[in-house]
Amino acid sequence: MTDMVGEIDEIGKLREASAAPASRFRRAGRLADMGSKAGLVVAILAVVAYGALASPVFFTTGNFVNVATSMSIVGIVVVGMTFVLVSGGLADLSVPATIACGAILSLGLQPMLGTVPAFVVAMALASGIGLVNGLLVGYAGINPIIATLGIGTIGLGIVQAAVGGVIVYGTNPASAEFVKGRLLGVPVVVIIFAAIAVAGHYLLSRTFWGRWTLATGGNTSAAEASAVPVRAVKAGAFVITGLVSGISGGLLGLTLQSARPLVGTGYEFSAITAVVVGGVSIMGGFGSVPRAIAGLVFVQLLTNVMALQGVRTPVQGLVLGALIAGAVGLDAVLRKRGGG
Amino acid sequence: MRTLELVLRYRVAIILGLTLACAAVLVPGFTSTSTLSLGLDRAASIGLVAIGLTVLLIAGQIDLSSGAVFALAGIVSVILQPTLGIAPAAVVGILTGMAAGAVNGLLVVGLRVNALVLTLATMLMFRSLAHWITQSQPVTGTDIMVSLALAQIYLDVFTLRSALFLAAIVLLHWWLTRTIPGRNVFAVGSNRVAAEESGIASGRIIFLGFVFAGTLAGVAGVLQSLITNTGSPVFGSELTVAVIAAVVVGGTRIEGGRGSALGTLGGVLTIGALTVAMEFQSVPSYVQQVVTGLMLILLVVLDRTVNTRGTAIVNRPSAVRANQPAPGAGT
Repeated sequence: MTDMVGEIDEIGKLREASAAPASRFRRAGRLADMGSKAGLVVAILAVVAYGALASPVFFTTGNFVNVATSMSIVGIVVVGMTFVLVSGGLADLSVPATIACGAILSLGLQPMLGTVPAFVVAMALASGIGLVNGLLVGYAGINPIIATLGIGTIGLGIVQAAVGGVIVYGTNPASAEFVKGRLLGVPVVVIIFAAIAVAGHYLLSRTFWGRWTLATGGNTSAAEASAVPVRAVKAGAFVITGLVSGISGGLLGLTLQSARPLVGTGYEFSAITAVVVGGVSIMGGFGSVPRAIAGLVFVQLLTNVMALQGVRTPVQGLVLGALIAGAVGLDAVLRKRGGG
Repeated sequence: MRTLELVLRYRVAIILGLTLACAAVLVPGFTSTSTLSLGLDRAASIGLVAIGLTVLLIAGQIDLSSGAVFALAGIVSVILQPTLGIAPAAVVGILTGMAAGAVNGLLVVGLRVNALVLTLATMLMFRSLAHWITQSQPVTGTDIMVSLALAQIYLDVFTLRSALFLAAIVLLHWWLTRTIPGRNVFAVGSNRVAAEESGIASGRIIFLGFVFAGTLAGVAGVLQSLITNTGSPVFGSELTVAVIAAVVVGGTRIEGGRGSALGTLGGVLTIGALTVAMEFQSVPSYVQQVVTGLMLILLVVLDRTVNTRGTAIVNRPSAVRANQPAPGAGT
């Protein structure tokens, strides 16, 4: 497992120098797999049980619809972020910029282009930001966190400059009605999220692209030797994240009918937390969309219970940070059992 | 090729020279001593944090939480003023930074997790803590005279903060180039396995590196809060990118193993000059962010392309490089 260096030598640093036999690594992976799967289910059930006991509001349809709606906006980003982590791309910190790009453009261009074309242009530009990230990470080999941090700063600056640092308001109430509306009793946002999640799961688990992504994240050199286009795969993960963040931002903008440049702040952390808590390895090569979504459900329900219990937002941030650190640490420990 | 190498080697000086020349021509009044002193003072705030980050980057680690530590230490030093008095409160503020660094170091070394991801998590935690303590409101200190005293300008140019920064840079330069612990930091950063084989306690060095970085972020935060007589949970939120940009402009490699104190000085002065010049021209802050971000990305890309070309041609075929057993040395 030591030849994972290559593109992801940051991750390689975590590993012990001495070689670990591949089979032992896999066994450790399976242990981590089963342990975290069972752990997640138990954790979700525990939160639901506690929520039901502690708050009379928790077990109401209204609350669940609220949780599902707010979860969907983050969840769309989570699907993309899963690809980034699995491909060994660490994390995409430019999500606030791409969300802002999606939200501001899909509202700001409405009067000129109409609702749907504006949304499409916003998505295209958000994917463009993702593409720049992807080129930097996949082809230039820049550390993903540095690249996305820099591109995020630039992107957010450009978006702010484009609208003069002010709030953009929507001009088409019908679009808001559609996004906020329900189809067969299910909020439209949730349906869109479900569709994206299913598509993402299919792409990652059933197609050649998904196999390539897992192979690249697991062992870049071996994947490259097997003629996997690792650079394109890495870049692709960031393009996917850019695209879905754009969609997420667009939906957020249409729902709120107003978009501030800082509208996406914090979404990167929520998405990373969900993916990592779901047991997707930050070292790459392991994970799936359903796992990430299970992580998301857990984190969202936990946040919901905390909010219902009157826990203040900073404390929730503290808990989220601790969850990321804990999950990453646990992942490192579990996965290192075989590595020694 | 030789000229290119020379240009790359002294690129800090070139970038700094160009920035200063452009600013001097384009910005009226840029060359006056008061501007110089102001710019130096502003740069010192980035600079103190950058000193800590330089050591960490050389050791192959990174700290993304420094902006949050900056805010937290400042808040602690202001909020404790009524109970402890100004000087002890400042000391507690700096100790807070040190403790935050120790938390980062313990977690990174103890859990053996990626510093980028871990400090991302602790950044969120420290920032939340700052919001929690202050109820998301800025807090003000007890004595406005302290800020006046600290903002005083000596010898026409230096403030306490900028003098402190310059002294720290000189010390860092001496430490990195002339002492054994300094040399060990480079060893750990360029090849951790080889360093450990040679008997260097790399875990301890990395832990101490985080403590050092946290302490300096604390010092910078406390000074900022004392000078503005305010502690705010949003202080330092744009600091991370500026600091990383400054250090990278200074030629320190993100991947570890290379860097210098004088380079960081050049990088910090460049970022400081840019900020002051743009502020004088009333360029909006988001455009300033774009410039800083662009500079960071361009230089990292430059670093990458040149480095890989150099090492690949000279002595290591790419296959060997990719399969190298030593993490941290490759790519």
